[in-house]
Amino acid sequence: MRAFRRGFRSFRRHPAANLVVVLLLFVCLTFSLSMLAVKLAADSQTKAVKGRVGNYGEIRSSSGFMMSTFEREREKSEAERAREARGMSEEEELEERAKTLVPEGLADDFSRQPYVLTYDKVLTAGVSVPGIKNVELASMLNLSKEIKEGAAASGITEHTFVFEGNTNGASASEFLNGSKRLVAGVFYTYADHREANPVVLVEKNLAEENGLEVGDTVTALINGERGKSAEVDLEIVGIYETVEAERQSQKGSFATFNPAGNKFFAPLSVVQVLNDTPGYVELGSYYFDSVDHTGELSSAFAEMTDGSGRYEFVTDQADYEIISDPLEKVGKTSLIGFGGALGACALIILLAMAIIVGGRTRELGVLKAIGATDRQVVAQYAVEVICVCLVSIMLATAATALVSQGLGDWLLSGNETDRMAEEGEGEASGYAAMMARLTERNLYKEGGLFSTPKSEKEEVELDVVYQGRMLAYGILILLGISLLGMAIPVAWISRLRPARVLSME
Amino acid sequence: MSAPETKAEDAGSKDGVALLKVEGLSKTFHGKAGDVKAVDDVSFEAEKGEVVVIVGPSGSGKTTLLYLIGSLERADEGRILVSGEDICAPGADLIAYRRKRVGFVFQFFNLVTALTALENVALPMDISAAPSKVQGKKAAELLERMGIDGRLQRTRANRLSGGEKQRVAIARALANDPEIILADEPTGNLDSATGRTVVDILVRLAREDGRCVLIVTHDESILEVADRAFHMADGKLGARAKE
Repeated sequence: MRAFRRGFRSFRRHPAANLVVVLLLFVCLTFSLSMLAVKLAADSQTKAVKGRVGNYGEIRSSSGFMMSTFEREREKSEAERAREARGMSEEEELEERAKTLVPEGLADDFSRQPYVLTYDKVLTAGVSVPGIKNVELASMLNLSKEIKEGAAASGITEHTFVFEGNTNGASASEFLNGSKRLVAGVFYTYADHREANPVVLVEKNLAEENGLEVGDTVTALINGERGKSAEVDLEIVGIYETVEAERQSQKGSFATFNPAGNKFFAPLSVVQVLNDTPGYVELGSYYFDSVDHTGELSSAFAEMTDGSGRYEFVTDQADYEIISDPLEKVGKTSLIGFGGALGACALIILLAMAIIVGGRTRELGVLKAIGATDRQVVAQYAVEVICVCLVSIMLATAATALVSQGLGDWLLSGNETDRMAEEGEGEASGYAAMMARLTERNLYKEGGLFSTPKSEKEEVELDVVYQGRMLAYGILILLGISLLGMAIPVAWISRLRPARVLSME
Repeated sequence: MSAPETKAEDAGSKDGVALLKVEGLSKTFHGKAGDVKAVDDVSFEAEKGEVVVIVGPSGSGKTTLLYLIGSLERADEGRILVSGEDICAPGADLIAYRRKRVGFVFQFFNLVTALTALENVALPMDISAAPSKVQGKKAAELLERMGIDGRLQRTRANRLSGGEKQRVAIARALANDPEIILADEPTGNLDSATGRTVVDILVRLAREDGRCVLIVTHDESILEVADRAFHMADGKLGARAKE
């Protein structure tokens, strides 16, 4: 206590020297603490990003397989196709219809992989609803006679709508990602899927144009079938709106039609019936625990499919990397900066204490001559060093709160610029790149193959906020530099011979 | 000034043990230029209430002798007996010795410049863990006795004059009430009038308080206040200049 009082008094009585040291330490500590705050924020955000991006994957027909199927079909004549169709058994016909789909069993099996947290199965199909007109499609078909005839050959008319089926309406990606919102009624449930209940969700504008309400029924036709047996009555259990389309229509952008009004949502089993592809899905959709297990899941998938290449397991790892790479680079850069600044702090405190103690050797000699033990003298100087470091770190902590966000943004912007430059350099060109872009399919979580993808990708941001750990690190830094600063007085005091210094003029 | 011989005799001969007894003390410094025998087989005695003056030219070893007695240097040979206790013996508690039994007065004052006069005087007491209230009161009394009072007591040491500094230094030497005061050229940095005042104070400490005051100096005029006086040259304590 006495040493504390003497040390604190000594700290107060040497304001000029201590101020210089405090200022130098303040600058370096501000930089190092800011770097530390940025590092912690980058690490924490990388971890947080792992929890929501990069942990999604889906199983679907591979792009390569689809392209080759398309090429093969294109080479066939109408007569050949008709001949093949005539010669097919029922099973072969189903296989033909479902050749670009995924067996439901495969999707189910994959869901049993460790790390998979939730999963869904999805099937989208063009289905005819004779009582309702698809205004958007009709206007496209009416553009030219050729288009209308080509579409009719594929079974597409102005009554064709997209039906998206999954196991639970509320977990359909567009409802999850907020691009669609239920405005009336309820979602169909897993039980509806299990029991193949003929229920459906209808878009708000489509419902209004056709005078449809919750509880009404629309009749859809099973693909490829005719007559009364092809009709399926679907009860409207819910009405949804498309958030972005609503926003745009309110601004007057869509005066005559709503592009979102051509889609129905129904239980997967119902869409399988309507598409006449029982046991097949367009994709299996999975959320797993972390991007860190992408590799293991990919390997497991390759093993399950014997590496046939017919199916692919695609993930949003690229999205994760877009966000995490700059954050990780910022983390690394800030760690280097933190280390460098701490090194400077160490150097400053060592030099400062050497100068301070060197200039006060006579005082040390006096203290020893009047009976102070080495421990008492060291304690006094330790308190002085701690006071210097404490004031510096308190000021630096306050300054860090002001500058760390700016520093983080600056580091992030530097890395973002580098990344964009790298992407620009690495961008492929030519026919292959064009084909790749044309065959590129969205992930279901972004809205699915037939939907407008959600354009707002998650932006890379760095929120440098004070965390509890900062305080702990601050205390550690304080102790570290204080101990280092004390090394000089300790060495000096233990070697000091009072008789030498006291007789100096 | 005449020495109160009775007091010295009383103090010194009560139990037959001298307050300070130096026997065959030697100290050699080993340097690149060779060995220097700073103190060479020095022996003498001093009693309570005595002023002992050792005169000699610069480099004669008198300061080293003082530091040896003050335990700031270690002797190579010989004994220093303080009330019969050998402070050169292994295991001697030198910290307690420095705190309680000796007080130093230096030529260059050696005050802690960042502290006030009062704080400088209280410092040895603080180090000896004396209660804070006692420290302040006793420091103020000692300074008043040295003629430093009022505002001067709260003036930083670096703002005091040479004479004031030396008086503060003497007050500091007295803080823990030591039996022996070791003064190294106490007038060396002062004008003659101020030096005289300082010497008078030191003599008073011996005469009135019964302390043993050992002064080393090259100023032979101080010899007149000495109860015992020695001449020192080349590390050897020579014939008494005054008895």
